[in-house]
Amino acid sequence: MIPLTIIGGYLGAGKSTLLQRLVREPGDRILGLLINDFGSINIDAELIASADHDKVELTNGCICCSLADGFHEALETLLLRDPTPDHILVEASGVADVHSLAQYGHHPELSLSGVLVVVDSETVRDKSKDPYVGRTITRHIEAADLIIANKQDLASDAERERLKAWLASVNPAAPILPTTSANVPIDIALGHRVTDPTPSMLNDRNLASPEADHLFDANRTSGHATFARWMWQHDSVCLPDDVEPFLKAIPSTIWRLKGWLETGDGILEIQKVGARHSIRARSDMNKTGQSLIAIGLADTFESARLDQLAAQHLTTPDKDNTI
Amino acid sequence: MVTILEAKRIVTMNPGNTYATHIAIKDGIILGVGPLEELTGWGEYTLDRTFADQVFVPGFVEAHAHVMAGGMLLLPFMGFYDRYRGDGSLARGIKSYDALIEALREEEGAIEDPDQPLVAVGFDPIYFGDQPRLSRHHLDQVSTTRPIFIYHASGHLATVNSAMLAAHQVTKDIQVEGLGRDADGELDGELREPPAMSLCRSGYGAVQRVNNTEAAMVEFGKQATNCGITTCTDLGGLSLLSDKFLAPWQSVTRGEHYPLRVAQYNIGAIPGSQADCEAAAERLMDIRKDEHEKLRFPGVKFILDGSIQGFSALLNPPGYFQGSDHGQLLVVPEQLQSMLQPFHARGINIHMHCNGNATQDLAIDTIDQLLRAFPWFDHRHTITHAQLTTQAQLRKMANLGLCANFFSNHLWYWGDQHYEITVGPERAHQLEPCASAVRAGVPFSVHSDAGVTPLGSLHTMWCAVNRMTPSGRTLGEEEKISPLQGLKAVTIDAAYQLHLDHEIGSLEAGKKADIAILAEDPLSVDPMHIKDIDVLGTFLAGELYPAAGSNV
Repeated sequence: MIPLTIIGGYLGAGKSTLLQRLVREPGDRILGLLINDFGSINIDAELIASADHDKVELTNGCICCSLADGFHEALETLLLRDPTPDHILVEASGVADVHSLAQYGHHPELSLSGVLVVVDSETVRDKSKDPYVGRTITRHIEAADLIIANKQDLASDAERERLKAWLASVNPAAPILPTTSANVPIDIALGHRVTDPTPSMLNDRNLASPEADHLFDANRTSGHATFARWMWQHDSVCLPDDVEPFLKAIPSTIWRLKGWLETGDGILEIQKVGARHSIRARSDMNKTGQSLIAIGLADTFESARLDQLAAQHLTTPDKDNTI
Repeated sequence: MVTILEAKRIVTMNPGNTYATHIAIKDGIILGVGPLEELTGWGEYTLDRTFADQVFVPGFVEAHAHVMAGGMLLLPFMGFYDRYRGDGSLARGIKSYDALIEALREEEGAIEDPDQPLVAVGFDPIYFGDQPRLSRHHLDQVSTTRPIFIYHASGHLATVNSAMLAAHQVTKDIQVEGLGRDADGELDGELREPPAMSLCRSGYGAVQRVNNTEAAMVEFGKQATNCGITTCTDLGGLSLLSDKFLAPWQSVTRGEHYPLRVAQYNIGAIPGSQADCEAAAERLMDIRKDEHEKLRFPGVKFILDGSIQGFSALLNPPGYFQGSDHGQLLVVPEQLQSMLQPFHARGINIHMHCNGNATQDLAIDTIDQLLRAFPWFDHRHTITHAQLTTQAQLRKMANLGLCANFFSNHLWYWGDQHYEITVGPERAHQLEPCASAVRAGVPFSVHSDAGVTPLGSLHTMWCAVNRMTPSGRTLGEEEKISPLQGLKAVTIDAAYQLHLDHEIGSLEAGKKADIAILAEDPLSVDPMHIKDIDVLGTFLAGELYPAAGSNV
């Protein structure tokens, strides 16, 4: 299953800037991008390996497909590619119905990794009253799993606070990431790239540094958004029925959570983005124990609470034998 | 060699020479229209009196149709109203679920390969509102082993049987939102919107693929001939930047005796997306180099919103009458001008799909801005559908030189629904305001949007003249137009908004010898009878193309 991320937001919010960043530094991922207009992404010439009218291949392995022939066709092109991309990103147009696009993420061959909606912190509240597109803009925000409040530098302190309150009133469930220049860490935007559960999960290159479970700086220039990670491993077996309550209990300050849980019936892959979570049986996996990783904003992060929730819901060693 | 055709009456639509009895033709071109004695001076001639008891009007020009009209009738058709295929055979309207099941059983029995899915089109649940929704359980009565996919008329929904769900491993665990479910959470077989429909790709793909095939184009041409159309737009569903439409159209229209001039308008950008319109405009200029008599590329189409009956057209206040408003633009308003500009600046005609009047405001204002930046007095840009056009919009359109192409068939096919549900009585009476357009001086045509409704210019004209609904209502007495105005709207005025009125749309010296052969004169019969006039066939460039089933 290939994770699918939808990047939505109105014209000028910073979607293209975000995509540019991700495609330039995809980490060890091969990204497949579905985009509206190659021109808007402005890919550096030295990064381009080959280009034709509906496809651009990059030297780092990533590939951009045009949506000119329609969404479904472009998606098929990416899925039939060899090798298939590790992650598919969709640049939704400024008026696209992102909620509907996100439904493709529930197709059997895909998994929805999140709907990211980028807003222009300076103008979005005004624009939401526009007679032509106001409702479109609030629909975007309603559909978001994560809201990226971009261009913070252009908004006054007071406006930033008003914006935060307004976004929360439109979509109370989605975490809000304040940023400038669409500077969003790739692990936040796309989730952790962890293809293999324990134990190599914790040796994943992204997590290898000794500071990995401490604070890290996402916004080196302005430094006003720092993130924290939490990782957890246990060799118990949990009950399938306990997984959903666990995910529901995760506080909204946790932006992304991913992991694998061993149950009496096999491995479950769990994922949480903002308020939405998914649980999928992974009969193809043959692992033992449990591994979780979570990420959120540093100043509201609750590691102890996560430890407690995991212990409460997921560590009942012999419970399965009593069934 | 000169041929002179004699008719009971020739309605020329040339206001300088309105009626005649004879028309002289050479090499596909009209030499003259008049009494026989005024035409004999062109030299040695053959007098053809085959149609001496019939009426000639200019070959009809349909300014908004899709090749889908051909493609969909290559598949089993399950629409509520009757439709005729190109070979003249009838696809009978389906009025009950029992009739649907019976028709599908017949189709099912005719397929030899047991693995081939049965894909049918045209079903419209709006006419079965008093019944439970169509579900897989109905379709399982047709077959429990052969996958079945019923594509609805709206293009937004499909219903499939259990075998189709199983064939694509679509189970209740899949969380795609458009998967219909019963009270117990079991799948009911309804698939709403493309993310759900595409789960059953063998069915959805078959529907998508059928339109851009040569077979669809051939069928399209036959249907057009049967209703007297000699020039038909294909407002393609494909982007100008796609390379899929050109080769089949070139091949089919260059084939011997293809019965239709096709005016192809592809779209500048897929709805809801943006595209490199500069490149698209260049492509259009480039493909025009390969235009020929039966294939022209007069302009570009942009789709700016959804539909009224789907509640997805963007309406100005007071909005929808009943039902929930899903109105949404399919373009970013700030980008529209820069998307249109590459076309406008190159002198390319633009047709803009606007069903809602808020959308139409955006289109009109954008053209206003473009005209300030790039003055062009003869652009003939067109608001197509234009169903809820207001008086103020007509005044402004007249000032800007914008044309309208009204979807007059809506008055019949959805007129009652518009009155009772979508926009309410007052605005339903002013739908497709043809008479107001005459008063305001806005040039207009009327259209079928085939395959959304059937191709048929006499029916489309009849709708604009009579404004009658299936329940017997008259919608908007004051928006009725005369039969003459109606005939203009399916001939010369339709040609005008394609920039082809100097070649087609009327019968006069120097123009193409494109003629619709009618059993009666649409200007003399009872206006209620216009839609029932027999079409015997057409002349295209002077060559006879009999309608299916006619004895000529």
